Amino acid sequence: MIKRFFDWLKQPLGLIAVGIVFLALFSIAAYGLYTTQQSPEQPIQFPHKTHVAFGIQCLYCHPGASKGPSAGLPSQAKCWACHNQIQKTQTSALLAPLKDAVLSGQSIEWVPVAIVPDFVQFNHRAHIAAGKNCEDCHGDVSQMNIAENPQVMNMGWCLNCHVESAGEDQEKLVKLTDCGTCHY
Amino acid sequence: MATLNDLKISEVKLSEGEGGKWGMVIDQDICTGCQACVAACAMENNISFVGEEDSGYGRSMHWIRIERFWEGEYPEVKMTPNQPMLCQQCGSAPCEPVCPAFATVHSQAEKLNLQVYNRCVGTRYCANNCPYQVRSFNWRDYKRPEPLANQLNPDVTVRRRGVMEKCTFCIQRIHKAQDQAKAEGREVMDGEFTTACAQACPANAITFGRTDDPRSLVSQLAKRRGHGAKHLEELGTLPNVTYFKGG
Repeated sequence: MIKRFFDWLKQPLGLIAVGIVFLALFSIAAYGLYTTQQSPEQPIQFPHKTHVAFGIQCLYCHPGASKGPSAGLPSQAKCWACHNQIQKTQTSALLAPLKDAVLSGQSIEWVPVAIVPDFVQFNHRAHIAAGKNCEDCHGDVSQMNIAENPQVMNMGWCLNCHVESAGEDQEKLVKLTDCGTCHY
Repeated sequence: MATLNDLKISEVKLSEGEGGKWGMVIDQDICTGCQACVAACAMENNISFVGEEDSGYGRSMHWIRIERFWEGEYPEVKMTPNQPMLCQQCGSAPCEPVCPAFATVHSQAEKLNLQVYNRCVGTRYCANNCPYQVRSFNWRDYKRPEPLANQLNPDVTVRRRGVMEKCTFCIQRIHKAQDQAKAEGREVMDGEFTTACAQACPANAITFGRTDDPRSLVSQLAKRRGHGAKHLEELGTLPNVTYFKGG
């Protein structure tokens, strides 16, 4: 039975069938890989580029970055402070979710894109205090529309910067490369 | 050539350990064994509740436990003081060299015995080599019924199945205090923060602080009550927890 099946595979028709199966599996794998590299769907098609172009600072909407571990995602109250003075908010279809959220009092469920696993404890404040700029880790957000994460945020990437910023200072190097600094 | 026999006992260095940085003093005379520290620790550190069945198999997870001992024969039984037992944060820890994955390592910066959950592969060698029996293993992904999941501490990793865990001396609180102090441009002050167990103790039997600073409360307490004992010190583990009994 199995021998007959292998004999059939060796025919031209069988070889074509093998080729088709291989191509199908390859494209499924490629598509799967492609989807993991896509930015997630956001509740509002928020254009970072436009907002940065108006001169709004990162810390205006993400003020937690200079104060504590989490940078924070803005609530609709923050959006509305400017947007209720803008005529387009009332008419634009893209801004309808914002208007709905404000009127209904439901919070906007933004999807964070720059995330670390649960076993990594990251603190924004320490990085800002050490003189890092937002774009050092988050890429040039002023050229992005919908939030995306251009970096592969893995441990080697973190440590490269930690070792570099410690320089010759041995005490700082010990602190910055200690497991317990990020993992607990 | 000198052999081991030629060396005097005093010259044999039992262990090459680290000096401590953070330490704890536990006064067994005022500990009432109320288990508040056990509960506070479980809340602070997202420790799973294993339930009745697994607990029966000896799989209960506590980073601190109250040990009770008895002296004498029934009916003349005398209970000795309660003994809170937690990770002693050994300067020369027996758990560290046996880990094949380097998941339990010594922190050079904080002088603590770390457990790196993402490295741990669950061989459980460390728990078997711990003379204090203070490590606990996640045998399952224990469920947290709603609304218990809402009380998880975001500063502490939620461990998954197959990972070893143990007391960290509330390293998340150490980091928080250090971060706060750095933001305000000062040093961390003694008594500014403490571990969850020490905070919850109604009798103040547990004191936590810097043992390398002679002015800190832990150092002062250790000096004033000079007869403190360290458990299984003869093994050369250099524990960082001091116990007082019979003051």
